[in-house]
Amino acid sequence: MPSRNGYFGEFGGRYVAEVLRRPLEELEEAFHRFYPDPAFQSELERLRVEYIGRPTPVLRAHRASEELGGANIYVKLEGLANTGAHKINNAMGQALLARMMGKTRIIAETGAGQHGVATAAACARLGLPCRVYMGEVDVRRQRPNVFLMELFGAEVVPVTSGTRTLKDAVNEALRDWAASWENTHYLLGSALGPAPFPDMVREFQSVIGREVREQLRDVKLDAILACVGGGSNAIGLFSAFVDEDVRLIGVEAGGRGPQLGENAVRMTQAGRVGIVQGYKSYFILDDDGQVERTHSVSAGLDYAGIGPELAFLGKSGRVEFQSVTDQETLDALKFFARTEGIVFALESAHAGAAAIRLAPHLPRKANILVNMSGRGDKDIFITAKALQPQQWRDFLLSEAASISEAEKHHG
Amino acid sequence: MAKLLMTHLVAGYPSDEASLGAALGMVQGGAAYLEVQFPFSDPSADGPTIQGACQWALDRGWKPERGWKLIERIRESLPEVPLYIMAYASLVYTPGIASFCRRAREHRVTGLIVPDLAYGQDEGLAEESRKVGLDLMPVIVPSILPQRLEHILQGGFSNIYVALRSGITGTHTELQPQVLDFLESLKTRGVRVFGGFGIDSSSQVKLLAPHVHAIVVGSHLVRAIGQMPPDSKPEDYTELLCARVRSLLD
Repeated sequence: MPSRNGYFGEFGGRYVAEVLRRPLEELEEAFHRFYPDPAFQSELERLRVEYIGRPTPVLRAHRASEELGGANIYVKLEGLANTGAHKINNAMGQALLARMMGKTRIIAETGAGQHGVATAAACARLGLPCRVYMGEVDVRRQRPNVFLMELFGAEVVPVTSGTRTLKDAVNEALRDWAASWENTHYLLGSALGPAPFPDMVREFQSVIGREVREQLRDVKLDAILACVGGGSNAIGLFSAFVDEDVRLIGVEAGGRGPQLGENAVRMTQAGRVGIVQGYKSYFILDDDGQVERTHSVSAGLDYAGIGPELAFLGKSGRVEFQSVTDQETLDALKFFARTEGIVFALESAHAGAAAIRLAPHLPRKANILVNMSGRGDKDIFITAKALQPQQWRDFLLSEAASISEAEKHHG
Repeated sequence: MAKLLMTHLVAGYPSDEASLGAALGMVQGGAAYLEVQFPFSDPSADGPTIQGACQWALDRGWKPERGWKLIERIRESLPEVPLYIMAYASLVYTPGIASFCRRAREHRVTGLIVPDLAYGQDEGLAEESRKVGLDLMPVIVPSILPQRLEHILQGGFSNIYVALRSGITGTHTELQPQVLDFLESLKTRGVRVFGGFGIDSSSQVKLLAPHVHAIVVGSHLVRAIGQMPPDSKPEDYTELLCARVRSLLD
């Protein structure tokens, strides 16, 4: 559903300092010019097939459904996309657009690193220099993704301001862009921020929903579930079904519990309507309007704001919002690994957990689809630490020892 | 030609007493306008100096309540100096635009600067300001497109803030000829122009003075405040800022 002048109902907009108005207008114009262009579409389609690995499959999760005893569960294996998550759909789309706009440099923010990895990969593929801003805290805890970004030739810049996490990386990217927009594209990673980003990112992610419709055209879906951080995988999936008779369920990070600061639930708990980072939506703010701390076991869901279109669809009741805790998420990860041989990313495992909760309450002829927006390889340092702490510790120590040993011989 | 300065400070950095001391010093040193920034968790238009100052204050529990109290105390000591509050949208929108404006007026604030509530998409800020008699100062940049500039100029503003460089606060600005041309072009438009962003020397002040109504100095002074020893007293800040502002006007 395209916005009206950048608004979805009361949400969205373009609340930026004057310096960013021109680059945003220029981007909006370029998107409307190039996106419908058959040459752009065919180039993007070619990259989707050859590079991203689309269409990603839909799995009928027989064993999981059997064990839960209720609805049939289908899983969209979006995590099989190159670089491991849906993020590449948007990164490649925007990078291609930037190249057509004549931009010669890409900047991006990243939290957990998935968007950073996708952007670095897309830039490597298209031959564009890339700088990724990443909170210092995230750089430290997401070393594997930093390694991949650097392997793709990106420059990863640690951000030391504020809470040194995703939102601070966004601020830093905005600061860079304010000075560099004439030759630089800011490749924002979710369906949020100032217009036109929410519309643009949804369009690049809508391929997920279109594929599901095609792949399940003979199946009557009763519910569709997706995790929601900023919400790009959810809006990309839901957008194909908004006008249909099917429940759309967005799943937020319930973290360690309902106390302020212990979760990232914007829609059903502490969220309030605010204006932050260029758009109006639900945010976790204190009474004065300061952005509050958040928590989730999955780094991709612990952002304080939600995309404006989902805020609108949530407020109108079209999208239902639920939250699941860190513990339910880890249980869901184990459940689908054991029953189906698939490893959800921790973000996506939130949607998996909500599916586990829902399925037994539905009749056997009901069908639900859950988006595995990312695969869990990237989380191994978090999941293994949580699920097998002792063995994982021993492994890491022996790895560290072997590095030291090698250094001794070569040093 | 008289050189008018608008000097900027971050409320609560490093303490409310220090901020008050600094404000007094700025005016003693010759500042014609004061701009007090309310610290925000996500100051995306500010460079490292002001970011750091805001974070410092917030880490020590700064709240807008304290900001209002500081404004009150500045007003008690300096009843006449034009006093502006600079804040990001979230701090103005969350308590309610109308109530923020009313409160500012009750505290005898002269005007507001809210960079991310730009004219035309400001949630009614321009209207509410006008209603209570606050001077809302839009922030523009020389790269602004002519049509947009006209739109803002037709908004009936008395004063306008021109950020002299694209980017963020606090990095030294080389004043380009086209920027000075831009400032000149505003002279006949019936607004008073405040120019700032990266002003840190008396030679820049001299160069700019003929082209603007007033020159805004922010990060340069915030940096000086940050370099004071931790046990400094409010009068030390008064002395420091008085000297710094004086030297900018030399």
